[in-house]
Amino acid sequence: MISIQQAQVGYQTALIDISQLALPAGQIYALIGRNGSGKSTLLQSLIGQLPLRAGSISVGAFSLEELQKNAALRATQVSFVASMFTGVEALTLRAYVSLGRVPHLGAFGRLQATDLQFVDKVLQALNLSDLAQKDTRKLSDGERQLASLARAIVQDTPLMVLDEPASFLDYFNRELLLDQLQQWVQQKSERTAIFSSHDIDLCLQKGIPMLVLHHQKLTLLAKPTKQEVMALL
Amino acid sequence: MKQRSIQLLISTGILLLVLTWVHLFVLQQANGANSSMIFWEFQVPRVLSALLAGAGLALSGLLMQNLFQNPMAGPYVLGVNSGASLFIAILVLGAAPTFLNEFSYVSAAMIGAFLAASFMFVVSKRVQNIQSLLVIGLMFASFTGAIEAVLQSFAAPEQVKQLFIWNMGSLQQMSAAQAPWMATLVIFGIATTLFLVKGLNAMVLGDAHALQLGVKVKQLKIVILFVTALLAGSITAYCGPIAFVGLAIPNLARALLKTQDHLLLILFSVLAGSFFLVAIDVLILLLDPWLSLPVNVLTAVIGAPYVAYLMLRQR
Repeated sequence: MISIQQAQVGYQTALIDISQLALPAGQIYALIGRNGSGKSTLLQSLIGQLPLRAGSISVGAFSLEELQKNAALRATQVSFVASMFTGVEALTLRAYVSLGRVPHLGAFGRLQATDLQFVDKVLQALNLSDLAQKDTRKLSDGERQLASLARAIVQDTPLMVLDEPASFLDYFNRELLLDQLQQWVQQKSERTAIFSSHDIDLCLQKGIPMLVLHHQKLTLLAKPTKQEVMALL
Repeated sequence: MKQRSIQLLISTGILLLVLTWVHLFVLQQANGANSSMIFWEFQVPRVLSALLAGAGLALSGLLMQNLFQNPMAGPYVLGVNSGASLFIAILVLGAAPTFLNEFSYVSAAMIGAFLAASFMFVVSKRVQNIQSLLVIGLMFASFTGAIEAVLQSFAAPEQVKQLFIWNMGSLQQMSAAQAPWMATLVIFGIATTLFLVKGLNAMVLGDAHALQLGVKVKQLKIVILFVTALLAGSITAYCGPIAFVGLAIPNLARALLKTQDHLLLILFSVLAGSFFLVAIDVLILLLDPWLSLPVNVLTAVIGAPYVAYLMLRQR
């Protein structure tokens, strides 16, 4: 459950004002908005990277302020999939995905057998098993995006925030991504996923609730239709 | 994968033991005039100094490469040694002779190293690419070199000579009395680094990612700067500036182990760094009847082409 109270999001000036909004858990939400409407900025605030200008947001049992002060706690509550990550020398895809377990590991960062089983299971679900030992620099953009999703899944947090996670994916992988997210939120009752997207048609077709960012406001459409969305944008 | 890494670590360790034995009990003994006094006062400190300097420099290189998120970083190329050199020069030429002791030497070198590393770190935030940073490191080194030269023009000839010899880099300067100190500092540095493994692993993806994974990035970076200064500074104080070990060995570690798991990288860098400097000193001992070479000449002969190869492979 994400609840937002009188929140003002933005850098020097307010970009978005949200008077009150509650997002029940167990759902995925698509964040829709035109270019430059502030989708990424809102997501940065949701993950606690950009402090709110005013108001408050709570993620499950914690306020965003608490999470901002405590990076270790935040990492167990919120995971983030950036739109892009660059490959690193000598870092295999499996090692990259395993980094998602870091918040759950001891001081020496040793992965236990259960961690590795979890990682391999997620790799398999995303059809990445064959690429497990591939150098992250040699992956395609789409493969990297799926790998980012895998990393966030193994981080195993109540909230997952994704910034245009499908921008490099082909049609089939877009479907795979949404299906995996749907499954993910249904596995544990406290889970919520919010992803920004320009793929309005696919989200409508899948019946995904939408958060529409328009005229500095955020509107939740629980059962959106195309007319409704278009009228707002 | 993991098994291969462990085999590699064990075989490097065994090679290191064998080479150390050859260095200490075969080559150093072959020079004649052996006594228990010479063994403990000269021969043991010499091999210890190679072992410790190699381990510490390789590790400080690994840490700097992580901190700068740049595989071409290292204590020598980014001017950390130069900072230590400059502060030692200021101390030797400027301070009253009563101040010239063990403690002041090492402290001056560490402070110089820390200031240089911090300076380069701040600068690195403002430049976009590896090349610019390396050029700035080079400029920094030549600037500190120039200041040293100015200082030397005011100094007495013995002082200048003392600094000149120290600047060549040598594994024979450390005395038996100093050995426990250097060992303590380097081992402390290695031990501290082992506690940073989790953060170092996450830092590989950059600051923002590491923060998302719960790493206290700012604190980690400050600790890295301190440990780097402790290692590079103390080694520079005892052995003079030694080039290329810090840059080349961690790159070799990643190339051979094909991993970013810093526990493995730390262990391998420590073993391979020691191995490299002991091997260099073995060469020096073997060549000794014909010519006597300073450490830096040999590290450069082997290290410089390797680093050039790495640069070429980068692009």
